[in-house]
Amino acid sequence: MKSFLIAVPLLIASTFVQADNTCGKVTIADMNWSSASLIANVDRFILEHGYGCDAELVPGDTMPTGTAMIEKGEPDIAPEMWSNAMKDALDKGVAEKRLRFAGKSLSDGGEEGFWVPQYMVDKDPSLATIEGIIKNAALFTHPEDPERSGFYGCPAGWNCQISSGNLYKALNLEEAGFDLIDPGSGAGLSGSIAKAYERKEAWFGYYWAPTAVLGKYKMVKVDFGSGIDKDEFTSCTSAENCLEPKVTMYPPSLVQTLTTEKFAAASPAVFDYLSKRSFKNSQMNELLAWMEDNQATGDIAMEYYLVNNKDDWMQWVPAEVAAKVEAALDNL
Amino acid sequence: MAESSWLKEFPEMDRVDLLAIRKGLDSAYREFSREYGEVIESFFDPLLTFLVWFEKLLLTTPWWIVIITLTALVYLASRSWKLSLSVVLSFLAIGYFGMWEHTMETLSIITVCTLLAIALGIPIGIVMARSDRARSVITPLLDIMQTMPAFVYLIPVVMLLGIGKIPGVIAVIIYAIPPVIRLTNLGIRLVDSEVMEAATAYGASSTQRLFGVQIPLAMPTIMAGINQTIMMALSMVVIASMIGVKGLGQPVLKSITNQYFTLGLFNGLAIVALAIIFDRVSQAYAKRTQRHM
Repeated sequence: MKSFLIAVPLLIASTFVQADNTCGKVTIADMNWSSASLIANVDRFILEHGYGCDAELVPGDTMPTGTAMIEKGEPDIAPEMWSNAMKDALDKGVAEKRLRFAGKSLSDGGEEGFWVPQYMVDKDPSLATIEGIIKNAALFTHPEDPERSGFYGCPAGWNCQISSGNLYKALNLEEAGFDLIDPGSGAGLSGSIAKAYERKEAWFGYYWAPTAVLGKYKMVKVDFGSGIDKDEFTSCTSAENCLEPKVTMYPPSLVQTLTTEKFAAASPAVFDYLSKRSFKNSQMNELLAWMEDNQATGDIAMEYYLVNNKDDWMQWVPAEVAAKVEAALDNL
Repeated sequence: MAESSWLKEFPEMDRVDLLAIRKGLDSAYREFSREYGEVIESFFDPLLTFLVWFEKLLLTTPWWIVIITLTALVYLASRSWKLSLSVVLSFLAIGYFGMWEHTMETLSIITVCTLLAIALGIPIGIVMARSDRARSVITPLLDIMQTMPAFVYLIPVVMLLGIGKIPGVIAVIIYAIPPVIRLTNLGIRLVDSEVMEAATAYGASSTQRLFGVQIPLAMPTIMAGINQTIMMALSMVVIASMIGVKGLGQPVLKSITNQYFTLGLFNGLAIVALAIIFDRVSQAYAKRTQRHM
């Protein structure tokens, strides 16, 4: 009888929550890198067990997912959208009431830059600055041309290809003897870092954080000595037709949760959760390092995170949702 | 509960053990690449030097000399005006649409890859045709090479040799070599046993039988294998670009990530043009030499 008395209000409460949110079928973009996959899995679990959604992960990548969300209204949620990468298109999507930004998935934002391995800086601290690198260009051998030095740029077609190419021009790296190497894919780029690191070879190129690669292979961000010129970066460095790029460090990129307007309007409670759900870079680096060490996929890392960080995620959701998620976790 | 659940669920290996195996093998490979990477890299150095030299040669030679040379080669091989003319036209179109440099880069690496694949593939095919035991070992290997997703072996290769031409060549050859091996084997095995008996009766030694009877008779099948090898090598151009091989694959990758359909189509068509030229020339050459038999 007692349990019945408790169960009735709970039942009412839960139907109330569900009635409030016509959640139904939700598609979440599972981007092809670890942190985004982890966040997507956390979202899936909480939406499915906490909000009673029929949540499904669909494969994604920044540009295709962003475009699909604008043009087709699908998937519903992109949990980790590096919005600088397609700023104009996304801003237009928001203005046309097709998209809505929920919150910052990474509260510190993403870090981009040119990096060198820690062991090189330990040997010669001047390599942490761009002058030191240009002076020691001969160290950074080109894999195919003994007379030139190599600078590993961003893979073909990625947005950072434009910014890293423009900075390569602005820093006069070509005159300094550096050829811009196109690694072709993210796997190619991280593979080249891994290869250099395992053999303590020289490496100089573009990378970004938070990533498992930078968690695992300690790298130092090269200081251009210019500070961050945000206007210059948005108007020229990140633009394809920038004629005279100037030197600037990368401003931290906004990393946001993006939803379609349709979904945000239909499920305000879920949208509220998405606005609160956010990770710090230091925390994400640790999680990525754990994933790397344990070769964990997004869903295993999600379990690990949800079980071990209850204090964090419980702040993102109302108490009754948290209780349901916790119950589902116990049943795993 | 755990004891009885194997009826319903597959008795999986413990996640911890599985993880230990995966981590163990991975770190063993890291050790290996740290230990022997440089030696293996230097083993490929002559090939790399040649590849770089050949690419520079094609890139620095003025375009009209390249076109004249290629057309001359095509004419010598095929003796066909029509084919030579279409080669000139397609290269002019490639140049006009601004794909000359990328096409030359692809041309250089694919020429080397197909020549290497043929040079390695035909002897392996011959070995396979002459020994049933060799065949039973090689066939499953070929199956693996053709079906294993390229990135599964590409990333280990990148860790060992870095990104660029050499891993690209290795990837292309692994994928493209099976047809020429398979069809060389098949062609030789299909040679009529009565013809072979006759050759033996005339006192032909085993080498004479191979080069005088079996290979010439198997030639049409071998050429079909070479054709498939060329086509598959060119279809790997995009995958090779994903590990930093310069060429037509790069703009294709760019167009895939950014949905530049026209850019993708143009560069894709340039790859097709290269494939058709390679194929028609080798087939015409083979047909011409067959005619005198």
